[in-house]
Amino acid sequence: MLSCRQLGFRYGDIRVLHDICFTVKKGCFCVVLGRNGSGKTTLIHCLNRILHPTKGQVFIDGKDMTSLSRNEIARAVSLVPQEHMEIFPFRVIDVVVMARAPFLGTAAAPKTIDYTIAEKALKQLHAFHLADKNFNRISGGERQIVLLARAIAQNARIMLLDEPTNHLDFNNQYHLLSAIKELCRTTDLCLVASMHDPNLASLFADVVIMLKNGRILYHGPNQKVMTPRNISALYDVDTRAIPIGDRKQLFLPKQGMGSSGT
Amino acid sequence: MSTSRASGRLLGLLGLILAAALVISLFSGRIQIHWQEMVTFGIHLLKGQDLPADLVHKELVLLWLRLPRCLMALLVGSALAVSGAVYQALFRNPLVSPDILGVSAGCTFGAALGLILASDVFGLVQVLSFFFGITAVCLSLGLARVISIKPVIVLVLAGIVVMSFFNALLMVVKYFSDPYDELPGIIFWVMGSLSRVSWEHVATMAPFTLVGLIVFIVLGFRLNILSLGDIQAKSLGMNPSLFRLILITFSSFMVAVSVACCGQIAWIGLVIPHMARSLAGPEHQKMIPVTALLGAIFLLLADSAARSISSAEIPVGIITALTGAPIFGYFLYKNRNTGWL
Repeated sequence: MLSCRQLGFRYGDIRVLHDICFTVKKGCFCVVLGRNGSGKTTLIHCLNRILHPTKGQVFIDGKDMTSLSRNEIARAVSLVPQEHMEIFPFRVIDVVVMARAPFLGTAAAPKTIDYTIAEKALKQLHAFHLADKNFNRISGGERQIVLLARAIAQNARIMLLDEPTNHLDFNNQYHLLSAIKELCRTTDLCLVASMHDPNLASLFADVVIMLKNGRILYHGPNQKVMTPRNISALYDVDTRAIPIGDRKQLFLPKQGMGSSGT
Repeated sequence: MSTSRASGRLLGLLGLILAAALVISLFSGRIQIHWQEMVTFGIHLLKGQDLPADLVHKELVLLWLRLPRCLMALLVGSALAVSGAVYQALFRNPLVSPDILGVSAGCTFGAALGLILASDVFGLVQVLSFFFGITAVCLSLGLARVISIKPVIVLVLAGIVVMSFFNALLMVVKYFSDPYDELPGIIFWVMGSLSRVSWEHVATMAPFTLVGLIVFIVLGFRLNILSLGDIQAKSLGMNPSLFRLILITFSSFMVAVSVACCGQIAWIGLVIPHMARSLAGPEHQKMIPVTALLGAIFLLLADSAARSISSAEIPVGIITALTGAPIFGYFLYKNRNTGWL
């Protein structure tokens, strides 16, 4: 379980996050939704102390995070960064096995067991065929899957994802989010992902936190929070919902559809 | 695993090449030593038989000039190469060399200062050089710490500031030096040479190289993670600033001692890590030992060439630059499709 209380963060004089309070339970897929610059990434980075919150606290299973060492935090919280290239052409398996760092001594290199865990994580995502490839030479979608596999190999109870669907094509977005959702269901993982597409969020999220100018605008179960009114307020775009059956709906801006006539 | 056997074989092969390079290096130079004479020296040292008078002189050259010089080439070559590899990972930039934080610029200024103040005081040049090299790195680290945002980029910029400052100081020293006596001394010193090396230098250099090498090999896996950048390193449980400080400290000492003893020997720290990476892959546990061996081989051969190309010795820094630059160009070409560029 992950929770934060009156979390605040400022870069110098600029306040990026104010008074953030929420709790994410086990097996829950929580999406942080907001526009560019709303503070999503900063919030994600505050949740595993990549950034030190300037106010408030973060609790991991009830323990104040400031009382934990970096290794302890890394064993409890994993991070899937945005897909990117590395400086050196590491093999995929070598990137995934880095997840074992918090379990190894400072001077130790990963052993056979660590490689086995890394291979298992890749197999779980049907990506074992990538193991020996150059991380920089696979597609963006594959790289994002590999980074997800690394987070799985880290074996943490809480997983943070920083805009995991950015730079991914239509197919890869759904493939990745389905994999994440499945993971959340089967392993009781507590998941927090930042996103900016309301439709992807409404398709996959259990709980949505809407973040605007560093404050929580609305927060609650997907069905309750994802309404045209809330989304209009979040994005400053007049939005309407189009039902697509199965109690799901699609959100589209009203203006863009004007000419095609309804 | 087959990969570990392959890397073991690579290390064995490079070890053999290093041994061969050492032998070549011991034989090359202005005074010719025949291999039969070498055997005689061996027997002399082991059994204490008397040497013929004409060989005594040659044995002195071998034991007191050539052997320390070869060992020093080996130590300095691996120290510079390994520091380069570590810096490239730390700064997440394959074009970084160990000079980036101003260590060489500081060392050169210190040496120049020593040369004009009192070049006859034994060891003063080396001590001043080492002192200013370390001072330069401390200034870079301090400046970066004061600025304290975006640690990696700021560190590089702080290094450039400090480097420029010490280069300016070097120009001041050059300007006020005696143009007939001291200025050529400074210029030759900057070119880098192993001709002044004695056993004392070897004894100073060896512990720094060995300790640094062990630290870097042991922290190889952590270097892989550090090369992913601070965000990922932190999320994998590491404290990147602390590791950077440790690694910079060790490599600065290695480079400062190298430069203080032998002057600036260019290109090794930049080129050799790339060569090692294309032989052993980018993983630092595997590529650091390969880098060390390659650096040693490269400087040994370059120094042999420096001694034997012409009757007057050429500064080895010229040889390393002349060969290093084209080799680097070749590796840029060869690695163009690996996602490396």
